[in-house]
Amino acid sequence: MRKRAVVVLLAGVMTFGLAATSLTGCGSDSSEGGTENVRLMVWSPQNDQSKDSGEWLQTMCNNFAEDHPEWDITFVYGVADEASAAGQVSQDPEASADVFMYANDTLTTMTDANALAKFGGKYREEIKSTNSQEVLDSLIMDGDLYGVPFTTNTWFMYYDKSVFSEEDVKNLDTMLEKGVVSFPFVNSWYLPAFYIGNGCTLFGDGTDESAGVDFGGEKAVEVTDYLIDLESNPNFRIDDLGSGIAGLRDGSINAMFTGSWDANAIEEILGDNMGVAALPTFTLNGEEKQMMAYAGSKAIGVNPNSKNMVAAIELAVYLGSAEAQRAHYELCGTIPCNTELLSDESISSDAVVSAQNDTFNRTSILQPFVSKMSNCWTPVENMGKGIRNGSITHDNAEEQTENMNDAMNSDGI
Amino acid sequence: MAGKKMHSAKRKRFINNTIVHVILAILAVIWVFPIVWVVLTSFRAEKGSYVSTFLPQSFTIDNYVKLFTDTTILNFPQMFMNTLFIAVCSCILSTFYVLAVSYCLSRLRFKMRKPYMNMAMILGLFPGFMSMIAVYFILKALGMTEGNLIKLALILVYSGGAALSFQIAKGFFDTIPIAVDEAALLDGCTRWQIFTRITLPLSKPIVIYTTLTSFMSPWLDFIFAKVICRANSDQYTIAIGLWKMLEKEYIDSWYTSFAAGAVLISIPIAALFLYMQRYYVDGLSGAVKG
Repeated sequence: MRKRAVVVLLAGVMTFGLAATSLTGCGSDSSEGGTENVRLMVWSPQNDQSKDSGEWLQTMCNNFAEDHPEWDITFVYGVADEASAAGQVSQDPEASADVFMYANDTLTTMTDANALAKFGGKYREEIKSTNSQEVLDSLIMDGDLYGVPFTTNTWFMYYDKSVFSEEDVKNLDTMLEKGVVSFPFVNSWYLPAFYIGNGCTLFGDGTDESAGVDFGGEKAVEVTDYLIDLESNPNFRIDDLGSGIAGLRDGSINAMFTGSWDANAIEEILGDNMGVAALPTFTLNGEEKQMMAYAGSKAIGVNPNSKNMVAAIELAVYLGSAEAQRAHYELCGTIPCNTELLSDESISSDAVVSAQNDTFNRTSILQPFVSKMSNCWTPVENMGKGIRNGSITHDNAEEQTENMNDAMNSDGI
Repeated sequence: MAGKKMHSAKRKRFINNTIVHVILAILAVIWVFPIVWVVLTSFRAEKGSYVSTFLPQSFTIDNYVKLFTDTTILNFPQMFMNTLFIAVCSCILSTFYVLAVSYCLSRLRFKMRKPYMNMAMILGLFPGFMSMIAVYFILKALGMTEGNLIKLALILVYSGGAALSFQIAKGFFDTIPIAVDEAALLDGCTRWQIFTRITLPLSKPIVIYTTLTSFMSPWLDFIFAKVICRANSDQYTIAIGLWKMLEKEYIDSWYTSFAAGAVLISIPIAALFLYMQRYYVDGLSGAVKG
């Protein structure tokens, strides 16, 4: 008896599997009464879909559906944040979302996998008319536009207003005399700010892969020497694994560098004393040099494998429109990049918004997204770590800086 | 003279024991240290991922409450139930596969026996995630990478390869005298009856071991779940959820809840082990007599 029961159970499991799979194969795309049935899969970060932030994505998609009665749209929502969307989409573009959000530094990952559609014609004109050239440049490769930008992505400075005045925060060395500053010294998204500030370049203007990286020579050695002194400054703390925000919380740190994602937590800690500013300058051999952050953008991309291309592109453009960006800002705190909105008083008066845009326009370079950029992260991180653990000193700074430059220019591991 | 010698031998033993115990105590502290730290963190009231003190300054159970009430961003209860369902189903399936295959290879003689064992050995040398992308595309072709079918897909993935890891159970079955089987055959038992009525009751420790390991691998797996679930957040397993909590947007507010989640996932494993460990003793005391 028992034997039969097991056989039946196993057979049941198998037939269930088969039946279920054959059923899913019968999705229909029939159209009736002039309206076309459209199924759009949309991926966004969880935060954009949660009830806490007013279900931004669902609300926007429903508005879009109301604006387009010619389509009977079924939305399918999925979760993929901007940083990991590229990996998810390029794993299997055909089974991925029609519309998704991605960070512009992952652009080549997706174009290599043929997973990103180009925007042309009237759509391109529309996007062009509402965004600054810098933002557009972050999404243009070989003359083609690959997404609808909806926010900029960079880092800037948060500080305690009771410790630093607005004049102090213009120079890092002045700040170090007055209070404790924390910087993500061993994170290669942040550390190059000093090198770029002193004239080091990445791939020419950031797009010329053959130009290579120039993080060597006298100008880079000067920065390495500066960083060694900075690290040993008693008022300087390395921000690693969240120690910066923890220090801000217990009061042992007065300024830190991070992005808009920490704005709420920092506001909770500092309250009215929260100051936000673009990157300061630093004094190198008596000269003032401007720190330069990497900046990018986040954009809405469309999958070229989409079965409903027109609807997908229309939705992407709508999700990046001024109306959607305003809602995004109000519900989720996503900083808009639409030029119209940025000149709007109610948005531009937000300190975080103005700091981020000031950083984007003035104290940043566009983070290169050529594929050789992937060689540039580890060597810089190792430079930071070497200085932290004392293996890089004034004596070997020149040699170590050259090593870093060589490693950034080579494909080897 | 003799008394003095006894005395010194006793003292020597005392010193030896002391040294051994001190070393053991130090090792125990080192070993337990990370676990204690995670448990302490899960009750920590201060927010954030980084703290300057080892012991939390104040305690709270809010981290646990948050896991189960704040479900709009990361739905922990749903992930927990998803994982539990997948783990229980694949545990039952793969335990059955492993034991049945081991029994066949230990007791039956057939042409493919040797080649199968060699093949399993060689296949077992490759890491499972090597075939990950291929497995994904096969499941996609079968239409099992969307909606609730993802659960079925994961169950199949976790239990499908189970028959390759028969070595330990087969080794155990080999130690049961074949005469027991023969006696049963003479009495009119079928192979199935021998397996269920005689071999399994005599092999409780290995059954327990197989059950535990086949429960734990789907319960703790991250990589297959990540590849197959992709953007379907309602199908996420705990491992993916915990990983999400450490992303830069969430880490500051979710870190202590992450520790609470890590404590919670150990509960089903511990419960299963506590429930089953009495059979360990039963089995090992030996039922095959004379």
